[in-house]
Amino acid sequence: MTSSSKEGERRRRYDKLVAVFYQDMYRYAAWLCRDKAIAEDVVQEALLRAWKSLDALRDDDAAKPWLLTIVRRENARYFEKRRLETVDIDNLSASQAALLAEAPNEELEDMRAAIFELDDDYREPLVLQVLMGYSTSEIAEMMGLKQGAVLTRLHRARHKLKDSMETQ
Amino acid sequence: MNCEEYREATAANPAFEGGASHAAVCSECRAYQREMLALNAKIAKAMQLDVPELKMPELPAIETNNVTALPARSRWRNPLLFAVAATVVLAVSISLRTSEVFQSYDTLAEEVLAHMDHEPAALRVTDKPVSDKRLARAVPAKLAIFDRGTSLITYAQPCKINGKDVPHLVIQGEHGPVTILLMPEEKVAEATPIDGKNIKGIILPVGDGSIAIVGDREEQLETLQKSVVNSVTWTT
Repeated sequence: MTSSSKEGERRRRYDKLVAVFYQDMYRYAAWLCRDKAIAEDVVQEALLRAWKSLDALRDDDAAKPWLLTIVRRENARYFEKRRLETVDIDNLSASQAALLAEAPNEELEDMRAAIFELDDDYREPLVLQVLMGYSTSEIAEMMGLKQGAVLTRLHRARHKLKDSMETQ
Repeated sequence: MNCEEYREATAANPAFEGGASHAAVCSECRAYQREMLALNAKIAKAMQLDVPELKMPELPAIETNNVTALPARSRWRNPLLFAVAATVVLAVSISLRTSEVFQSYDTLAEEVLAHMDHEPAALRVTDKPVSDKRLARAVPAKLAIFDRGTSLITYAQPCKINGKDVPHLVIQGEHGPVTILLMPEEKVAEATPIDGKNIKGIILPVGDGSIAIVGDREEQLETLQKSVVNSVTWTT
């Protein structure tokens, strides 16, 4: 196979994966960092890194967790020096508020705000389970936790959301 | 299963299907599960953020001459044949591995790289250190003593390389995670470089064993080497 046809094949493979998983990458980034502009930056960096290391992905069936792991890593890199553990829901930046403002109704906006306010430790496994469809054992592997710890976090996350929604 | 256990499991996963016998006789728990399912539906809907249009970054040219194209995946049309073939492959693989006939890597450096490839979860960027207990499990006293000092150790796992026990540690370097493999029974004659895609490293001879240190290409591993070697005492 010639060099140019290899390049073309590589690019087609990349484009296909990005087309399928871009939405998941963005939403995962957005829920990790809770900021529209930062999420876009994180995804841009993740797309670039995925392109550079595409040849390390041996099986396209494993592309989703591979891409999400890259997003997770890029998000961590972004916040290496500037941790953003909690968000004050009454004092959001324009870019943070932009994510909430997209909700089509008040109940959904309240729920988004409640998820926004969850600690990283609770929000991330919930996003991986509810939005990305991962099992608790897969989440445990991705987050480097024991399955029991993931179950506890998910249990607490839902109870916090339930309490928040009841007090709205 | 009692009410508390059932509700904990349901809150962790509203689609939880275990404990059916408990749910059958407990209307309150059935109601609780319905409530959790409804809450979950709202969470799922709220998480569906609008996604901006994809802006593709400028992608640099990649040298593809050394890249071998992946073979196309063939699909098995007959699930029974697939199951039989998979069983045979698994049995042969287990038999080869347990008989130590299986030798897939020509060099220790290749095996180190392959091992890292198999544990991608180890390379998380995080600031959460592993506990002393976990570190002690990964580095048993019969193999080595590792003084964690001020290093941020974020991964510690007992592993096998060449069939020998190898503590696998990850510390956070300036440019991301740095892998450290303590190999008390792998003697090397001289320092051996490791060259992987986007990563580099070295296998250092240390007494009757060796230590592999691998990190990002931009990581200054030389500065880490001394402190890592000084942190380790073989006990084998």
